[in-house]
Amino acid sequence: MTPLIHLTGITKTLKGQGEPRSILSGVDLTLHAGRSVAILGRSGSGKSTLLSVLGLFDRADGGRYLLGDKDITRLPEQRAAALRSAEFGFVFQRFFLLKHLTAAQNVAMAFVNGQGWLPRGKRRARVMAALDLVGIAHLAEHRPPRLSGGEQQRVAIARALVREPRVLLADEPTGALDTETGALVVDVLRDATSRGCGLVLVTHDRDHARKMDDVLELREGRFA
Amino acid sequence: MGSGKLRSALVIGGQGIRARKLRTFLSMTSLFLGVLAVLTVQAGAEIAERAMLSGVELTRGKDGTLQMFVPQEEPALGVVERTLAGRSDGVAVVGMNAIIGEPGVRPINDGAVPFDHPRVGGPEGGSGKPDGQAIEVQLEALTGDVRGFRPFRQVSGQWLDFASAPALAPRIVVNEEAAIGLRRHRVPGEMALPGAAVHVTPQVVGVVEDGSPRPSVYVRMDELRTWPPGSSNADTSRGGSRVQVMLSPSATDLVQTLRSRLIGVGVPADELDAHPIDSREELEGQLSLVRLIFLGMAALVLLIGVAGILNVGLATVGERVEELALRRAVGTSRLLLAGIVLAETLLTGLLTAVAAIGTGAAGVKVGSALLGPSYPALQGISFPWQAGVAGVVAGVAAGVLGGLVPAIRAARIPIAAVMRA
Ligand SMILES: Nc1ncnc2c1ncn2[C@@H]1O[C@H](COP(=O)(O)OP(=O)(O)OP(=O)(O)O)[C@@H](O)[C@H]1O
Ligand SMILES: [Mg+2]
Repeated sequence: MTPLIHLTGITKTLKGQGEPRSILSGVDLTLHAGRSVAILGRSGSGKSTLLSVLGLFDRADGGRYLLGDKDITRLPEQRAAALRSAEFGFVFQRFFLLKHLTAAQNVAMAFVNGQGWLPRGKRRARVMAALDLVGIAHLAEHRPPRLSGGEQQRVAIARALVREPRVLLADEPTGALDTETGALVVDVLRDATSRGCGLVLVTHDRDHARKMDDVLELREGRFA
Repeated sequence: MGSGKLRSALVIGGQGIRARKLRTFLSMTSLFLGVLAVLTVQAGAEIAERAMLSGVELTRGKDGTLQMFVPQEEPALGVVERTLAGRSDGVAVVGMNAIIGEPGVRPINDGAVPFDHPRVGGPEGGSGKPDGQAIEVQLEALTGDVRGFRPFRQVSGQWLDFASAPALAPRIVVNEEAAIGLRRHRVPGEMALPGAAVHVTPQVVGVVEDGSPRPSVYVRMDELRTWPPGSSNADTSRGGSRVQVMLSPSATDLVQTLRSRLIGVGVPADELDAHPIDSREELEGQLSLVRLIFLGMAALVLLIGVAGILNVGLATVGERVEELALRRAVGTSRLLLAGIVLAETLLTGLLTAVAAIGTGAAGVKVGSALLGPSYPALQGISFPWQAGVAGVVAGVAAGVLGGLVPAIRAARIPIAAVMRA
């Protein structure tokens, strides 16, 4: 069976002010549909860098990136944007919600991106379904400043899920939450895999990592 | 279902503007002033031109009027008078100086200068006559109603009546400066022409505004003729004096008749060319420099407006880095995002231009209604459409200039760097 994601020998060098630094030096990763993988690693080990390569925010310098049977190692910006919209959902440590929009409008952002337009009614139905999935449909009209951290992160997860992506990428989604709320959020994320979505969870918390199907540790730019 | 780029752009742009009402308002204000400055200069130049032209019209005649200069001597003068008698599309004007008041004295405004003019020369002046209660005026004798060419405004009383039989006591219409002289200096009501032996007592029937700073008096030529008998006009012997004949541009037959009759009495044909008055062209030369200077100033103000938009736009992009990166993360393309940022300022610029044009048009309307009665140049003035076009162009240009840099910056935001927790 073709894996959902197949990385081989991914390298990434970042040049800041000083010397160029090799962050990723040959990462291999395979993720199947409906499966989840936890990525552990010290701070600065390159977990977020790997996630931005996975999510097409950034390009790998070397190696190969297959999504299904498509080679997407090098994509023009327009196609990358289309894939980000259709195939990926993102959740971050900071929730990245827009303060001036309601929870529903924040979720609807995933449809307001010039990548296929849904009429208002259909859009609304999809948004409400996604909010319901993460258990906060009743908060649809609230703006982020009036929501708790856990609720905000669930709005962000609803936004990541609303277009029914094939891959869910989460970068320390529990980092800003207390243990209990964090556990709830991880459960919500893992539930998505039961509907066939692949999940990559970057975390520092071994308890959360244990809930995933696989656990990998990033060390010196590769998985040990 | 289409890609919905436009609709997405509208929603994102609308949300952006609503989230930053104050900023949008501020950038609109700076641009508003810039566009209004451009409009003011355009409209101002237009009005100034009209005002100058209407002043020139009063003294020189309307643009397009044909002018002919005929020697001021018999028999040519008589031919002119007879040919133009009873016509309104051709009027001859004979100008001379005259003195109203005590005979044989030096007038208060020697040389028919304005009354507030400082007097030149010693107490005796150049004439050797003693000072006395008399004023000197520029006398213009008319064969018909000159107002068809020089649109005088009646200040009080009546204008000359050319339809009735000539009166023995000449009726005169004075301009405002002459009226001031007559009022201020209680001069006897006698009028003398240089060289004429007989003095008469003219009857003032009205006051007009004629655009001249010098005191002037208008009189029917035939009434003037009844008055120093024999010597038709005392001053005609002064060599080189000419009668000004004003003719309507459509009066080609009259021009022909007049020319052939004058040639018939021996006036050289090459002296009888009728030239149209073209004050606008002459004025435009003078005005274009003024216009250029003011346009430069307006451009400067507009540039400040652009800088305002640019400033606000850049600050906004800085503030929106997260939003823009997030929008790209959920699949909005660089190009669309840059387009949205540009469209926001473009829309702001366009709306501002429209608002400024509306304000300008309303200002012109109110201004002409309020000031029209006292400043005839502002009467019936409409908002110059060139100013409207200039406003829209300025607004759009400001929007593009002020939005382009922020748009490019927005497109360059690296998602990965922003999203790194
Ligand atoms: N734009 C950049 N230029 C140069 N170096 C960078 C840049 N971004 C990140 N780095 C460096 O790359 C390394 C990996 O960063 P990354 O954010 O991937 O680490 P991480 O594993 O996610 O750490 P954390 O657990 O703290 O989030 C870090 O040492 C960081 O300093
Ligand atoms: Mg990280």
